[in-house]
Amino acid sequence: MRLMLTFLLAGVLLLPLQTVQAEPSSGVVDRVYHPYILPFERELEWRFMSRQNEDGNELLQRIAFGHALSETVIAKFYAVGSRDEQHDDFGLEGYEFEIRWMMTEQGKYWADFGTLFEVEKYHNEKRWEVTTGLVMEKEIGPTSLTVNTLLVYVWGDVPDQELKTQLRVKYRYRWMPLLQPAIELYTGDDFIGIGPAFMGIQRFDSRRQLKWELGFIAAVDSVVKDHTLRFSLEYEF
Amino acid sequence: MLRVLLSFCLLIISVDVLAARPEVVVRIKDNLFHPANIYVPADKKIKLTIVNEDDEPEEFDSFALNREKVIFGQSKANIFIGPLSPGRYPFFGQYHPTTAQGEVIVLAPGEEAPDAN
Repeated sequence: MRLMLTFLLAGVLLLPLQTVQAEPSSGVVDRVYHPYILPFERELEWRFMSRQNEDGNELLQRIAFGHALSETVIAKFYAVGSRDEQHDDFGLEGYEFEIRWMMTEQGKYWADFGTLFEVEKYHNEKRWEVTTGLVMEKEIGPTSLTVNTLLVYVWGDVPDQELKTQLRVKYRYRWMPLLQPAIELYTGDDFIGIGPAFMGIQRFDSRRQLKWELGFIAAVDSVVKDHTLRFSLEYEF
Repeated sequence: MLRVLLSFCLLIISVDVLAARPEVVVRIKDNLFHPANIYVPADKKIKLTIVNEDDEPEEFDSFALNREKVIFGQSKANIFIGPLSPGRYPFFGQYHPTTAQGEVIVLAPGEEAPDAN
């Protein structure tokens, strides 16, 4: 029954995706956010994403610093770098500011909820991108289902100013702290990708720990090659 | 669509708020959990009220329970766990991991907690 309700909720959250606009995508495969925040949380993060498709190789990296503002809110600042396909050099693409709010206490309700708000300014361009949405996690025995339903709005020097939707889903088996296998699904911008992922936590002492994530997402709606390797390291101190 | 989503979330929250839950009070004193063994029934959502009587904060941490929660010094916090299957679920205080240790022991139906607790 609980499993049925979980998939029902996932289905409800999926509905907005019927309005997805068709446009080549670069930022759909990213990270599935969890709704949880701890006070005193400070973190440094490095995110790496490499996408290979018929257009070539797209490389994106993010370096971030995050700091909890309260027991339920964390702010994060990112510098985003990407490889310029024309000149084949790696440079700054933009800056990003992110706020996450843990709306419910973990385990108190049927599922745990949070919200995400991100704003990105592209470097040397009059182009902005705002992302906002609901972050949900449901514990099912030794596994966890995490669902991000996001709205993305891009404006400025872009051909079409439009509202797009994205769905990110992770189903994770909490096997052991260091190794937790998962399946991830990403949809948005006329893209549907699915693949295996792994995450883990290594504690060093009372306040320092390293989280890692690795995923390989392949497009399932494309007859040509389109896959993404993503990796992230998050150092909490 | 937004209205449907909000209604659904409110429904989930309302149903959960109405459900009565067993509550267990755990104290932190001198960087130790009291009691260290917490006996709870199987298949029920439990509210743990952690009262930190020390001046320093402590972080309740348990991979088995999938919970992390900071309890500030001289204050209390609630941690919601379960429903759980019978078994032992270790937890520790992340700021004092060598001393602050304990277990949530989930009892099978018909099983009773020892008197010592």
